[in-house]
Amino acid sequence: MAFRKRLQAVHVPHHKNTAGMKAETLPPPKEVLLPVNMHMGTPAVPVVSVGDYVRVGQKLARGEGNITCEVHATVSGTVVSLDPMPELFGNDLPVIRIENDGKMEADPTLAPRTAEDLAAFVEDLHESGIVGLGGAAFPVDWKFDAALHNNVKTMLINGAECEPYVTSDNRMMLDHGEDIRRGIEILKKYVKPDNFVFAIENNKPNAIAAMKELFADDPTVSIIELPSSYPQGAKQMILYNALGKVVYAGQRLATLGVIIINVSTLAKVAKFMDTGMPLVDRVVTIDGSAIKEPKNLLVPIGTPYRYLVEAAGGLKCEPGRVVNGGPMMGHAVPSLDYPVLKTTGSVLVFSEADSVIHEPTPCIHCGRCVSHCPMNLNPTAFSDDLEEENGDKRALLLDRDHVNFCIECGSCSYVCPAHRPLVENNRAAKKYLKKYKADHKEGGKK
Amino acid sequence: MDKRFETPSSPFTHCGASTQRIMLDVILALLPATVAAIVIFGAPALVPILSCVIAAVVSEFLFNVITHRKQSIGDLSAVVTGLLLGLNLSTNVPVWQCVLGSVFAIVFVKCLFGGLGHNFANPAITARVFMLVSFTQVMGGAMPKGVDLVTSATPLEVLSTGGEGLPSLLDMFLGVRGGAVGETCIIALLIGFAYLVIRRVIRWYVPAIFVGSVFVLYFVTTGSAVTALYEIMAGGLFLGAIFMATDYQTSPINNKGKAFFALGCGILTFVIREYCAYPEGVSLSILVMNILAPMIEKWTAATPLGLGGPKNAK
Repeated sequence: MAFRKRLQAVHVPHHKNTAGMKAETLPPPKEVLLPVNMHMGTPAVPVVSVGDYVRVGQKLARGEGNITCEVHATVSGTVVSLDPMPELFGNDLPVIRIENDGKMEADPTLAPRTAEDLAAFVEDLHESGIVGLGGAAFPVDWKFDAALHNNVKTMLINGAECEPYVTSDNRMMLDHGEDIRRGIEILKKYVKPDNFVFAIENNKPNAIAAMKELFADDPTVSIIELPSSYPQGAKQMILYNALGKVVYAGQRLATLGVIIINVSTLAKVAKFMDTGMPLVDRVVTIDGSAIKEPKNLLVPIGTPYRYLVEAAGGLKCEPGRVVNGGPMMGHAVPSLDYPVLKTTGSVLVFSEADSVIHEPTPCIHCGRCVSHCPMNLNPTAFSDDLEEENGDKRALLLDRDHVNFCIECGSCSYVCPAHRPLVENNRAAKKYLKKYKADHKEGGKK
Repeated sequence: MDKRFETPSSPFTHCGASTQRIMLDVILALLPATVAAIVIFGAPALVPILSCVIAAVVSEFLFNVITHRKQSIGDLSAVVTGLLLGLNLSTNVPVWQCVLGSVFAIVFVKCLFGGLGHNFANPAITARVFMLVSFTQVMGGAMPKGVDLVTSATPLEVLSTGGEGLPSLLDMFLGVRGGAVGETCIIALLIGFAYLVIRRVIRWYVPAIFVGSVFVLYFVTTGSAVTALYEIMAGGLFLGAIFMATDYQTSPINNKGKAFFALGCGILTFVIREYCAYPEGVSLSILVMNILAPMIEKWTAATPLGLGGPKNAK
């Protein structure tokens, strides 16, 4: 392989405590909460009413407009509410609550999919409810829609799983190799790329070995070991480290002839095509310093966290923080009533001692954020720019410093000795710039 | 509903570094040089060191009290400034001048600009230059204890006036020569350097480029490696290169910028020593580069990953 400049990264302790634990199936929860915006893009619109009886896999909400995704029942039972739950989700979108009758009866109308070509495959996926399970939550039908307009040469299968604690992709590769193999067959049938590249961090030697064995006789599949550094699984990083490619600003990934798909997403696509069952469950890692017995659990989507905590032996101390996703890019949730979403790879509950928020001290200009930013940005500059009082100038400065390249990976905040809220500022800055540009466009038209 | 939890922004984990720990590391890295100063110059070496540290901490404390600011001496940065300034002075300097220098460093260079992280120049360096200009006669340097005072000139002064009566290279390396108390013992400074690099507080190449460029320039212009070795070990080059040119606030934030900053320091040190009236150029060169640092930072900023387009694209 040609010499490649190493990207900047951080080394975060892996905490892959559950890597050796096969997922246990969670006993069906009494109720599930299904928000209509578990995907990137336009929220779905409910098609059921309160009192309806629904079965597993039945459509609850339809996707409308560009980039959207359906929501399906993940248990069988009665729809008890469609009301928003702002105290939990912070928005006024409907949340579909289903009271579980415990039968887990599947929708009898579901049947294996028999798409003839790529267009029909994309059409089918539209009813799968599957989104990028790695965290981006990009609807999978839209992902493959790009293959209709571009010649896809390489399918990059993302098994990096760079977030600490999370081991659900690892378990997918170890326990559901057959689904992954079926996924590759399906992609060969419809997308017809020249080759497949699995990119897996080298802290998962068992998963790497499993994939190598699984595809030993397939010359179109190669397995690449990536260094275990954060954020290895981010689009730009994995694209560069696995294939040596860079996607430039304003360019769509597919124009490079590449589509990236998370390994768990691929397995779910295979399952859907073979059985017709949409995305209704997933493997979730439950871990964190307040959890008695960290483990992997196969849970219906929409299951409130408290059921997972219970299955993990309960809490060993007073919890101070509950996180949906990994510790670097996940988001803190207000309560253990919060449900598992489609993108929830892990649920982390930390002790009060591990939840202390440090008071920020002045920036000492040490440059650690700059030398660890995987995108080569200067995070302190954005924070300085945000303090500019003139709104026009603020937008100009933020644009000049390329704030929109920030992928919000959190590396800068992680290494900052002054505990400055860098990634938080970056997010605020991006939001401001977006709004400014939108307002400015309208103003220009007048 | 169950217990409510706070929902701050990610990340929910941290590497554990703190400003205070970084400052403590710098203090620890200066300890070998401090001990060496006491061994070489005896108890009098404690006078500039202690008076500067105490004056620096007390003046920051009082400034915060008087201006109703949050107390900041806990971050230990005032101790670093005081210790650095003390090690940069000789036993000739009277206590009141040490105190004045420290107050100048803390109050005028640091606190009045907004405290830690807001100063445009290194407080210790600026104070040293201020004292160099104000109290020229005592800033040259005193002799180590027990050394026969045939000449009271420091090696740099000797070098600039012909080179008669120079200490041996080994004495230079061990620090048995005249000068500021903390600058003479090269081996002690190198131990501190190694510690800071291992602790990842500083980048190894900043002192390396600074000292290396001075060495190369002397070697090229004089053709003598021995002269070049004397030049790099004389004056406060190692002390400045390891502990002052690596100051975060007053050097560029990016790695490439830091390298150019160090190179500029090296070239300016050579130019000042060779062509200017002052025999010592380290403090002045760092001060000048401090002022240029924001510009260097701008010129050497990295390109974000994915900015622009493929090189061969039309």
